[in-house]
Amino acid sequence: MASLQLISLTIGKTAPILLACMGGLISELAGVINFALEGMMLTGAFLAVWLTFVCGSPWIGLMGGALGGMFIGFLHSLVCLKLRANQIVSSIALNLLAAGVTGVLLNQIFQVYGTSPSVGKLPTLRQFKPESLPFIGNWIATAAGDLSILAPLAILLSFLTMAFFKWSVWGLHIRACGENPLAARTAGLSVTLIRFSAVIVGGALAGMGGAYLSIGELSAFVEHITQGRGYLAIAALILGRWKPFGILLAALLFGLSEASSEWLAVTWAGLPYQLFLALPYLVCLAVLMGQVGNKQAPSSLGRL
Amino acid sequence: MSVAKGRQIIREKLNPLISMVSALAVGILFCMVLAFFLGVGSFDLISAIWNGAWGGSNAAATTLSKATPLLLTGLSVSVAYQAGLLNIGCEGQLTLGALSAACFAISASRLPELLLMPLTVIVGALVGGLWALPAIWLRQKRNIHEVVSTLLLNYVAIYLADYLVRGPLGDGSAMARTAEIPPASIWPVWWKLGTLGLTAAPLAALILACILHIWLYRTCWGYEVIACKNNPFAARSAGIAVNRWQTRTFLLSGALAGLAGALEVVAIHHRFYAAFSPGYGFDGITVAFLVNNVPGWTWLSTILIAGLRSADKWLQLSLGISPNTILVLQAVLLIAVACQSRLPVTGIARWRTVFGRLFRYPDQPQQ
Repeated sequence: MASLQLISLTIGKTAPILLACMGGLISELAGVINFALEGMMLTGAFLAVWLTFVCGSPWIGLMGGALGGMFIGFLHSLVCLKLRANQIVSSIALNLLAAGVTGVLLNQIFQVYGTSPSVGKLPTLRQFKPESLPFIGNWIATAAGDLSILAPLAILLSFLTMAFFKWSVWGLHIRACGENPLAARTAGLSVTLIRFSAVIVGGALAGMGGAYLSIGELSAFVEHITQGRGYLAIAALILGRWKPFGILLAALLFGLSEASSEWLAVTWAGLPYQLFLALPYLVCLAVLMGQVGNKQAPSSLGRL
Repeated sequence: MSVAKGRQIIREKLNPLISMVSALAVGILFCMVLAFFLGVGSFDLISAIWNGAWGGSNAAATTLSKATPLLLTGLSVSVAYQAGLLNIGCEGQLTLGALSAACFAISASRLPELLLMPLTVIVGALVGGLWALPAIWLRQKRNIHEVVSTLLLNYVAIYLADYLVRGPLGDGSAMARTAEIPPASIWPVWWKLGTLGLTAAPLAALILACILHIWLYRTCWGYEVIACKNNPFAARSAGIAVNRWQTRTFLLSGALAGLAGALEVVAIHHRFYAAFSPGYGFDGITVAFLVNNVPGWTWLSTILIAGLRSADKWLQLSLGISPNTILVLQAVLLIAVACQSRLPVTGIARWRTVFGRLFRYPDQPQQ
């Protein structure tokens, strides 16, 4: 039973990283470096709480989360593609912007510092009566009942992204822009437009990842709620070598390390808790150090 | 030399100044828009920032004391950038540099004063440099971009310092801090300003900036470092050890960030405590990029950012708006300055923009 709970915890921790990863993947395959995932997640998390607070429905909040990520994505593509700034510097600035803006808005709207008042959560799996499903229904209800509905949706979305890049023409167009923009332009594609939309759609996914943190796991926005998950997502992107399935595995690894750090913190309460907090980052660094071989980034990544 | 050529050279020298002033103009415009959204008068916001930074001798002293770590982290980022690397890990390097400097000063308090004072600072710098080592190793041996690894190392460093200061290295109280460092290692106050005092630390940082500027632009070594950024392939063909120079420069960059932490300990706080840096490492990025990563001009952007930093609490007190406003302003400054360095577009020639036509000297002056 314990291991089943660990699995469900892992899936819950994987979901936000996976969503952010897929967002980053779409943008980076189009050739735009996207270290702004952290900022997208943060803005998404905040807007999700705000819209849930205003409208009362967490589903509108989820859409707000996507909108927040899209907004940062729009700024990123505007600054990078139209104003031709350095994409890494732009990402860092947008992360800073997101941290600042969410803090300012938290104070302006809710008149608080640190944590917002609590709002409605997205429904958990248990509320969908999974017992009625054949075969695995009971299992889901007992082990994963407390998971947010967004967790299976995230995994579904990642498979959709996989299919999108494998079979659709748009996926091919996006990859062409990332590999060789000149050839893509010669073939009649509007490279800037495709990159613009890729970054914005990626932002929507990352923003939903942020919304998972604020209205899926918790039911409030806390300043710096993302805790570097956006950076973990970028690391997962490198680890998964810009291939959707590899990224899924990498995100699962980070989800597992986050889940097991919570797990171990209870089991080995004698050890310092900072070790468990740092565990995902340590695992990430260790895996990056152990990685050998040729990493095939999109060849025009970061170039216009 | 023709007049146009001379003008071009002068313009190149003044480039950092131009880039910063134009970013500042964008920042002030944005301030006015922001003030509208926050519901305060636009000039109230700007004057509140000014008063928080320079209104009165106490505020000025605070600003100048914040300038030391900002100048050093700014130098750290710009030195790394001159070798074609981006060091985002100043936050972690600064934290560990400060912690190790404090611990060294406490444990080696029996050393003579003449040795203790410089050694404390050197230990901080060394540990900062050491914390940059994994990142540059990952970059060169595993081809992982240093931005990712330094960001991850930041988190590890902060948690590590948090554990050490609450556990084995703390002073035993519930305050999560180390004991006070011995008086022999504390930098004395040089200049009374209001009720606060300034040590020699800002001056030391300024001198270091001058030395780094001369090293980069007036020596052979500096030339080789800059060549690594401008064209690594050409540099390699010309016999410059690109990887070696990048490693050295990145370690130097880490050491500068560690030094920032160590100076913060010996000059201001006299001890290390949990959550030591209020984001000096990330401010360093803005400081460096505002003046195009030229060490000799870093003091100018440092004054600006240090002013913003020390105004944040004042904004809360006088206007009742969140101190996070400062972060927003910094981000806008950074974006404004990033947009000035236009990346080349591959393949097609573009019409110069109107702005470019207005403000650009001809690339090849007419003879």
